[in-house]
Amino acid sequence: MAHGTSLQYEPVAEIGGGAYGTVYKARDTESGQFVALKSVRVQTDQNGLPISTVREVALLKRLEQFDHPNVVRLMDVCATQRSDQETKVTLVFEHVDQDLKTYLERAPDAGLAPGRIQDLMRQLMCGLAFLHSNRVMHRDLKPENILVTSQGQVKLADFGLARIYSCHMALTPVVVTLWYRPPEVLLQSSYATPVDIWSTGCIFAEMFRRKPLFCGESEVDQLGKILQVIGLPSEDEWPTDVSLSRKHFPSLLPRPITDFVPEINELGAQLLLKMLTFDPLKRISALNALEDAYFQDEETLT
Amino acid sequence: MARTGFCDSKPLLDLHKKADERRAPLRSWYACGTIDCWQPVEVEESRMVPVKMEPVHRWERRLSAQTNESIIMGFNEDRLTDTAADGCVEENMLLYPQLQGFPSLQALVPSLLRHEVETALEKLDLIWDRTFAWDMFLDMMRTQAINTLPNADLPRDFTDATRSVLVDWLIQVHEILHFQEETLYLAINLLNRSLHVIKVTTVNLQLLGMVCLFLAAKKEECLLPEVSGLCYLMDHTYTKPQLLRMERKVLLVLKFDLSYCPPLHFLLLLASIARCSAKVVWMARYLLELSLLEGQCVVFLPLQLAGSVLCLSRQILQEPPTPEGEAAWCLASSVHVGSETAVLRIMHTLAGAAAKAHTRETCATFIKFSSPETMYVSVHPGLKNIAALLGVCT
Repeated sequence: MAHGTSLQYEPVAEIGGGAYGTVYKARDTESGQFVALKSVRVQTDQNGLPISTVREVALLKRLEQFDHPNVVRLMDVCATQRSDQETKVTLVFEHVDQDLKTYLERAPDAGLAPGRIQDLMRQLMCGLAFLHSNRVMHRDLKPENILVTSQGQVKLADFGLARIYSCHMALTPVVVTLWYRPPEVLLQSSYATPVDIWSTGCIFAEMFRRKPLFCGESEVDQLGKILQVIGLPSEDEWPTDVSLSRKHFPSLLPRPITDFVPEINELGAQLLLKMLTFDPLKRISALNALEDAYFQDEETLT
Repeated sequence: MARTGFCDSKPLLDLHKKADERRAPLRSWYACGTIDCWQPVEVEESRMVPVKMEPVHRWERRLSAQTNESIIMGFNEDRLTDTAADGCVEENMLLYPQLQGFPSLQALVPSLLRHEVETALEKLDLIWDRTFAWDMFLDMMRTQAINTLPNADLPRDFTDATRSVLVDWLIQVHEILHFQEETLYLAINLLNRSLHVIKVTTVNLQLLGMVCLFLAAKKEECLLPEVSGLCYLMDHTYTKPQLLRMERKVLLVLKFDLSYCPPLHFLLLLASIARCSAKVVWMARYLLELSLLEGQCVVFLPLQLAGSVLCLSRQILQEPPTPEGEAAWCLASSVHVGSETAVLRIMHTLAGAAAKAHTRETCATFIKFSSPETMYVSVHPGLKNIAALLGVCT
């Protein structure tokens, strides 16, 4: 199987030295299709492959069975033994040429049509609702790992990898962007699926602005920038299990979101605020967001 | 109960729960599938920018194809509605008088079932958030077929007898290691699937079985045994490197796909909806575990196995019926309506197996279920009478 992998998938180019290791574009010599290869080196101890790898990869395989349109296909998994102590697990994903970042950069000067944004958002939410209903959080949503096919189909990529990687590559210096992180993560409080909704909210705003909404340089700076827009939350909304106190931040009132995202329509702005809610418990869920008036609105399409 | 069997990773912190405390409304069957949650309504799609969404349609087709196939197991939504509506609506109305304001029976019955399923999953602690309960149930129904085998063929040189000796041994090892029941069902499923794709000699059969149990434990258990301990349990017939090599081999041929919805979950779900007594459930669990030893049972869907063992268990124990109990049973049975042929075949096979269990060499399960904790179900006098049991099934 070791040689099987390298024979079947012929590397073509290095695409993005992602935070967690190199990703290769390769050609599947059997089908001629392009694929994206992501490898992780796993330390195998006395007990063989670590539980976490076994579980996470099994989870990705399980999700694959649903063949969801807004989730990137996992086409194959290979495991190669490198030594007694190390096994390389390679995940073979379908390759999509363009991510949302590039897609936004290539948009016409006038920006994306409101109907296009609504469609992208709906697809994004469908993908998220699917992941969340399967107990998978993405945890690192950003325009770079949202893929957009040439037919305009949105596909979430890199979900669930965060955990595989973080288990085994704790020592690798990792640079992860702060811009899409929700307050609870910045505050190092406990978090769950609402993290992805926050990130999606930031991305929603970015589709109109074509530049990120909150560009902080450190955790505290990022949080400060967020509070300048949504205002300082009340004392009882501030998580209790965190070291950073609410008193660190000036008492700010929320500002109209349309000051920052002028092109957004009324219903879009309402949904955006539901997504950029400080308290993760009050933040809208992906399933509820899909039923939001914004997505029922036909005028956006015209 | 292990909580991991449903979804393969550790549960997320449930921040949603508080926010979504309101229960999902009891909507009609047609409006409550996951499909409409996942994908935009098609009419709207076509009205939008001329975007071709080929994969969406492909996906949709596949879903419906699965649903059609699943007529065999009775999970055809229309059919479920009809049959349930024919059979037991009135009694259910008695059970749930507060729901009588509903517009039509067609809409009412699936809502009832949905409500029951959600409550049962919650009670069994199989879900983390009730909002997703129905989706998870639909997933269970849809995906149960994926890792069920198409045929009961075994590789050359192997017989059903060899297989059941191995399974019986694994049941003992499983008991020694104090694993969850889900782990056993997963292990045997992995074994069945591996036997179809790996070339293994009789000499290595035991190693393969142990590796399947080990992998199942890695997926389901919190505490893992040492590999050296496993080698000890195999009398050091195999070395640690051999075991680890086999582990990699199995993972590769199964492509890391360890998902399996154990029939036990369906059994507990149905039993909870049907308000079965503890004794009926224990008897059904015994029969279900016996099915692991039967080579012909590998082709049946988890739901069919679960439905059959519950039916058989009720017939063996012959508890006096109550109107509420019968109505609840009727509702629970509507989940696997359409599987009658399969159910009868399984009941027949297992009735035979249960009657002979005490005389067989492979009697780990028989012994396990003769304990006071399991309410002595395996030595129940009702099981001894083969003729009557088989009569039950014809």
